[in-house]
Amino acid sequence: MLVKPTAEDFRVVLSNLGRISTLVGFAGVIPLLWAVIGREWAPASSFILMIGVFFLLGSMASRIRVQRHRLDWSHGMVVVALAWLLVPAVAAVPLALSGHYASFLDAVFDAMSGLTTTGLALVQDLDHLASSLNFWRHLLHFIGGQGIVIAALSIFAGGGAVTLYLGEARDERILPSVRSTARFIWAAALVHLVAGVTALTLVAWLVLGFQLPRSLFHGLMVFFAAFDTGGFAPQSTSLGYYHSVIFEFTASVLMVAGAMSFGVHYALWKRRYSSVMLNLETRTILLTFGATLAAAILGLAATGQFATTIGLTRYGFFQVLSAHTGTGFGTVSVPELAGWTGLAYGGVTIAMALGGMGSSTAGGVKSLRIGITVRTIVTQIKQVLVPEGALVARSYFQNTKMKLTPELSQGAMTISLLYVAMYLLGAAVAIGYGYGLREALFEAISAGANVGLSVGITDPMMPALLKVTYIAQMWLGRLEFVACFALFGFIWSTWRGK
Amino acid sequence: MLRPIRVHLVYLEGQVKRVALLAVVMLLTLAAPAAAQEGRRISVGELLQEAATVNGQVVVVGELIGDYGFRSDGSMWTQLNGDTYAYDPTLEGGPLTGGNVGVAVRIPTAIAELLDKPGGYRVRGPVVRVVGQWEYHDPHRGGESYIDVTALDILEPGQGLVEHPNYLVIAVGFVLIAAAALLRRGSIRARR
Repeated sequence: MLVKPTAEDFRVVLSNLGRISTLVGFAGVIPLLWAVIGREWAPASSFILMIGVFFLLGSMASRIRVQRHRLDWSHGMVVVALAWLLVPAVAAVPLALSGHYASFLDAVFDAMSGLTTTGLALVQDLDHLASSLNFWRHLLHFIGGQGIVIAALSIFAGGGAVTLYLGEARDERILPSVRSTARFIWAAALVHLVAGVTALTLVAWLVLGFQLPRSLFHGLMVFFAAFDTGGFAPQSTSLGYYHSVIFEFTASVLMVAGAMSFGVHYALWKRRYSSVMLNLETRTILLTFGATLAAAILGLAATGQFATTIGLTRYGFFQVLSAHTGTGFGTVSVPELAGWTGLAYGGVTIAMALGGMGSSTAGGVKSLRIGITVRTIVTQIKQVLVPEGALVARSYFQNTKMKLTPELSQGAMTISLLYVAMYLLGAAVAIGYGYGLREALFEAISAGANVGLSVGITDPMMPALLKVTYIAQMWLGRLEFVACFALFGFIWSTWRGK
Repeated sequence: MLRPIRVHLVYLEGQVKRVALLAVVMLLTLAAPAAAQEGRRISVGELLQEAATVNGQVVVVGELIGDYGFRSDGSMWTQLNGDTYAYDPTLEGGPLTGGNVGVAVRIPTAIAELLDKPGGYRVRGPVVRVVGQWEYHDPHRGGESYIDVTALDILEPGQGLVEHPNYLVIAVGFVLIAAAALLRRGSIRARR
């Protein structure tokens, strides 16, 4: 029997949602300061409005009296799912007021894309956008990538933190408590921030010959987008804007760091290199990356677009890495990417669908699930082949020797299938509007796996329903379904429960 | 026609080089209108669509935007946008016509130094007509695709654009923040 949520359940959810709203409101002060310093008064005014909305929602929630302060599983999940809808809706306000969006829906699309670290964009005339608004788009990557809820946990964690943490699809607890794990994630991000921005700035200044302030601007923007595997870029031609192998390489290092689970970061920090290399997740991602890269390079070679191996490898490597890590940077134009055929197109598409490591900012099915699914299938085949009564070892290595239980296999396969279903449904909507299967599938995977590469469907002129579909895909993909389903269950129980 | 002059510059030094550069700039400027007639006239959008099939000299018009990247090899890289925003800036209420349509241009530093600052927020960059070689995945430059500019006409110099802050938005924002502060104060008092 469905149990109808009580008034106290609603109060708990709204109270926690209010906390998150206040926190993001404070984050909004940073682009406001940026705008004031840069004397960008029009964006500054819209940031004030956005902060006002966030604070008002937070303050209204603070008046709710909650008897039970501890969050249970369902509350945590519902809070996470709602937070990832509320924040983009309000964060879209300054974007919508900028005059660079055809509608509020387009601005919400970009805010959701930013927060879910996807990188698909409907902004128009990006090259004339105010730097503070550009900064806000990229800061959304950082806020979303590091996790709004994780930030909330770090600052005012209360009971039930685990459910909020898991709700954001971070199922790997590195340190004994969720709070200390959240703080490690933030510490790792800050170390990368300093090193990454410095490296990118120096390359832009010394190698590319940009002015120093502009180099710093590009360094910061590209860092946010690379480390959080986001994919927004400060200029319309994405990373192709820089025309530099060194710049692409520096960004690539950050993209890889962003696609690694924070468990791997912690292991590397502790110098447990051999453990990292033995992990099923590491081996899987190396294998899938190698396979998709080989396919893409072979495919590109067949097209004859590149006269040299260096050019072929450079562009093939970067696009596959961008796809596999879920970053979505491009170094070739949209028409050119759309023109890739055969293995090159397939390699990039499959790399996007597979995604990076679990508990990272990357999207997609995730390599651990793929590894577990493959290991399960192999084990099943072995079980059939061995003599009756003989036992096949059911284990894998992930930081330590783990048991391959039926529940684990089932969980990995279920989520993997949900991703496939989401990709197909998204493609079906686009096909319904007359787009080709190839393009529709590419774009749906890009949205659902939070990648951001586009072959041209994502455009301000695309149908509103398709925009909503991609928004939903970005949301579902980022939260890996569970929190979203919990919200659907909560709504259903409210309606039909007793 | 102009390419050999630029190649010779590599061997010049110091003051001689500066004088020669000025001479080249003058030559390029004078020669530009004539040179602009050479090559295939093409829009940036068409160039991107037909990138693999376009060969040889092209003539492209657009706004220089973003940054001027002065490289150590005596060239400057920037982006040339061939969209409508140079003529109807968004900041001044121009219509939205989709994403930017840009292509990379590699310009000799001698010419680049004469250009106004590139386009960006509150700046409409110089609108130029460039003549140059379309290099599609140039094997000599790591596979880059760009226009190697040999001549350039400035059709319209860069210009500042004026932004218009919305005072109603500011007022509403402050009212909301004040309301939030009052509510928060009330809830803190209630807890005490």
